[in-house]
Amino acid sequence: MNARAADSAPVLSVEHLSVFAPTRRILSDISIDFPGRDVTGIIGPSGCGKTTFIRTLNRMIDTTPGLRVEGAVRYRGQDIYDRAVNPVLVRQRIGMVFQRPTVFPMSIYENVAFGLRLLRTEEETVEEVVRRSLTRAGLWGEIGSRLDQPALELSGGQQQRLCIARALAIEPRVLLFDEPTSSLDPIAAQKVEELFAELRRDYTVIIVTHNLQQAARVASRTAFLYQGQLVEFGPTEELFERPKERLTQEYITGRFG
Amino acid sequence: MTTAAAAPAGIGDGGELRRASGRLRRRLLFDRAIGWILLAAFAVVLFPLFDMLYWVSANALPTMSWGTLTENQVGTGGGLYPMIQGTFVIVGLATALAVGLGVAAGFYTSEYAPPSVARLARIAGNLLAGVPAIVLGYFGYFLLVIYAGWGFSALAGAITLGIFMTPYVYRTTDVALSSVPKGQREAALALGARPHQYLGRVAFRIALPTVLTGVFFAMALGLGEAAPLYYTAGFNSYPISNLTSPTGTLSVVIYQFYDNPASFGHFLALAFQAAFLSIVIVLGLNVAVQLLSDRYRRRLRGLYQ
Repeated sequence: MNARAADSAPVLSVEHLSVFAPTRRILSDISIDFPGRDVTGIIGPSGCGKTTFIRTLNRMIDTTPGLRVEGAVRYRGQDIYDRAVNPVLVRQRIGMVFQRPTVFPMSIYENVAFGLRLLRTEEETVEEVVRRSLTRAGLWGEIGSRLDQPALELSGGQQQRLCIARALAIEPRVLLFDEPTSSLDPIAAQKVEELFAELRRDYTVIIVTHNLQQAARVASRTAFLYQGQLVEFGPTEELFERPKERLTQEYITGRFG
Repeated sequence: MTTAAAAPAGIGDGGELRRASGRLRRRLLFDRAIGWILLAAFAVVLFPLFDMLYWVSANALPTMSWGTLTENQVGTGGGLYPMIQGTFVIVGLATALAVGLGVAAGFYTSEYAPPSVARLARIAGNLLAGVPAIVLGYFGYFLLVIYAGWGFSALAGAITLGIFMTPYVYRTTDVALSSVPKGQREAALALGARPHQYLGRVAFRIALPTVLTGVFFAMALGLGEAAPLYYTAGFNSYPISNLTSPTGTLSVVIYQFYDNPASFGHFLALAFQAAFLSIVIVLGLNVAVQLLSDRYRRRLRGLYQ
């Protein structure tokens, strides 16, 4: 299970994770280690629990009433479901970008500055971080000269990259992406995808996607979820070219899903 | 069918695209008829409004002068200055109270309350909105005027009217906050916002134009209600200099002076003048709120796509 490059100690490790809805089990006994500075893809057919899974990794799952989580998710050794842990601090360390762009009805600048304002960062620092985050998200050249404009006037692809910049601004160590390109046109999607190659150098990136080619392009490791269970997890090349499980084989060759 | 038969004849003269026939023709006629019926319904609804505006203006304007706005009421004559002052003071204070309570309760219901509590709160809000104004008037009378010993006063009136207005502010705030796109909340929380920070920095910004409309609606109702004030603020022909004196308002002038046994001559004129002024205030308020909420709404362009 050891992929190249990545930091040796896992930044995030999931141990026997299960999630229960009132009448059924959504995720069953999942264990995965996510090494630092790497991109991991999570694939699987609709309804397999991908989104639920990624939402357990920064406790966004707390915001859905009625779900129960069992097992542990360790961020640098600390279980984020420990009673003493504050979910707000978890989310500052483990950022998330959603399926559809979710810019706030404010200026471009205030969008990126949002997380910093919560932390009462000084304005000088805010300015610098906004610039740096937009640059990293590949947006500075396009919109650096019109930061006062309403963010809602940007195109869908720009909005999504703005959401990435906004997540980067509070300097998380882990970034979670829940189907980040599925609402974008192919060109905008490609621009977002190109960012992952950049981001992997500094962040632990986890991407949920239903687009197999996308997983193959950007992820160095891939996990396949099916009906709430982890079927297979390994280096992307191996999983796509020499899957160990028949189910994986059938899914990636398009026999179901 | 006819269309098929007609098609060759239509070639060249463009009739193929211009003359509908058969079932399509009936549908188009029906559509046009519906349009006329709706217009008629609209006219029936608007007629009483314009008739009322005309009737009030025609009775008020001939007897109005600058003095109507500046003079005290003396005997059966004089102006409405004290009641204009009283209306602004009482409706102003009542609005402050209703906005404070209503917005806070709306925040609580939409964000903090467990679902079962939220449901109860919404039912309670609707109940309060359904309580007849005169019942609230008596409630204020017994609790504040008699039991608390305040006597007829601007403060008792403002509190009673504020309670009357609160459910309207509460309901619109709750609805406006609850209809904020879910992604906004998720995004804010995922950036490390606490619920109150999400409410204050994101949700309220989105809900504001709707909340403003609700506040306007509550104020318009409050301006027109005499019942909650009749037994709490009482009446006064003189301007007030503190909140503990009996206080006149335009709505009570209308109620008292219009169909009063003593209503003759100038009393009746005062009632019409008060009605006219109330309408002007509501209209002005409406325009101001529209402009303001349009300004805030502009920030939201593109949010609901």
